[in-house]
Amino acid sequence: MNRNALHIIRFIALVLVQVLLVNHIRLGGYVHPYIYLIFIMLLPVTMPKWQVLLLGFGLGLSIDLFTGTLGLHAGATTLMAFCRPTILRIVSGHQKLENVQEPDLGQLGGVWFLRYAVCMVLVHHFALFFLESFSFHLILQVLLRILLSAPVSIFLIMMILYIFNPEKKREAK
Amino acid sequence: MRNVEYRDATLGFALFRILNSAFRIKTTMYNLRRFILKHHFVILFILLEVISILLLARSQNFHRNSLVSHTNDVVGTIYKWGSDVGGYFSLGKTNEQLAEENALLRKQLSVIMDTSATIYSTMESDTVYEYIPARVVNNSINQANNLIIINKGKLDGIERNMGVVSSEGVVGVVTDVSRHYASVMSLLHSKSFVGVRFKNNQQIASLRWNTNNYRYGMVEDIPTHVVLQKGDTVLTSSYSFIFPEDIMVGTVEDPLAATTDALNKAKIQFATDFAKLRHVYVIKNLYKAELDSLQTSFQ
Repeated sequence: MNRNALHIIRFIALVLVQVLLVNHIRLGGYVHPYIYLIFIMLLPVTMPKWQVLLLGFGLGLSIDLFTGTLGLHAGATTLMAFCRPTILRIVSGHQKLENVQEPDLGQLGGVWFLRYAVCMVLVHHFALFFLESFSFHLILQVLLRILLSAPVSIFLIMMILYIFNPEKKREAK
Repeated sequence: MRNVEYRDATLGFALFRILNSAFRIKTTMYNLRRFILKHHFVILFILLEVISILLLARSQNFHRNSLVSHTNDVVGTIYKWGSDVGGYFSLGKTNEQLAEENALLRKQLSVIMDTSATIYSTMESDTVYEYIPARVVNNSINQANNLIIINKGKLDGIERNMGVVSSEGVVGVVTDVSRHYASVMSLLHSKSFVGVRFKNNQQIASLRWNTNNYRYGMVEDIPTHVVLQKGDTVLTSSYSFIFPEDIMVGTVEDPLAATTDALNKAKIQFATDFAKLRHVYVIKNLYKAELDSLQTSFQ
């Protein structure tokens, strides 16, 4: 029950931070970082896959409502949610995830999480910028956008996770 | 006797076939259910992606009546919170801008007051446009299609297809209205299209964005005989019912000679600084209903 409340709060907070703050970051016009993906990344490993899919769709749609691009973020985030089980398997390799509640920094370490974040962000950004190019035609520009935005997104995501991590460390002690 | 036996046999056969097909339907249903259960993850994924792409394709349509609108009061209100907080940081600049505009309007007013009363009365009867002031609560400039949300809506008399200007120049066109908010397609939108006129030579042309840079737009359909220079002023044309005539649009930055086409293009710098947009005016054409009915009667 408590966990669910935490997820709901995280959902709302990330959507608000994304649309009110991060969407207004302007670095040369090509850099559009997205941090709301943290919500999908931190969902429990044991959660049924179809639930993750629906949550991804819902999350993307809420961002879309704010940016006026219905379907854009929903499509990209759904794809990311679809790839999540595969990415989790590839990233963790032989390391077992069964006894891990949520994939987060405290339990799996910074390096593991960085790899996880890189894969997830790349999948999402590829889908997002290519879906956007439905209405925008230059493929090189799309690639440039992906290559410039992804590092910034990953950096912001890691930073946010490190900032909100201390609570976990205290639990470990 | 033989006949009866034969009939029995055919009856039995028919019954068998009916039962068999029923069974087959049942097994196919069963198989279908098993298939769905087995591949529910992939099926749900495909379903959601199809929904997303359909929504996306629909939102590309400019005149949409979407079920879930971007311009609803909840979204508007949340954006207003954000802009209320952010607004404090730019109060100084905003004040300066408003003061400048006031000074300009005062100057224009004094000219009008100075001229004779007859001119003044004709001016008054000529007032076709009403200006509704509004505040920008959300604005983007770095997307492929940029929308602005303003804090005035249906209850304030805002309707679709009304023009929006700032004190510096043209901003965009209202595309969607809720009770208290409206979304505006800014000039920085792939579907944006404004009729413009060069001040020097009265040449009519059309303005699109097409540059992917929030400072610059592209004026198209300029006949090759028209000579343009850097710094030439671009104004709105009189052919549009959305914007009044002679509103500032921008200045020519780079006249581009066409290589193959019979028509030239010119890169222009927008007069409006979209990155610093806070206060705008929505333009209401008081004779719009009349113009619309005239237009429909032509068609």
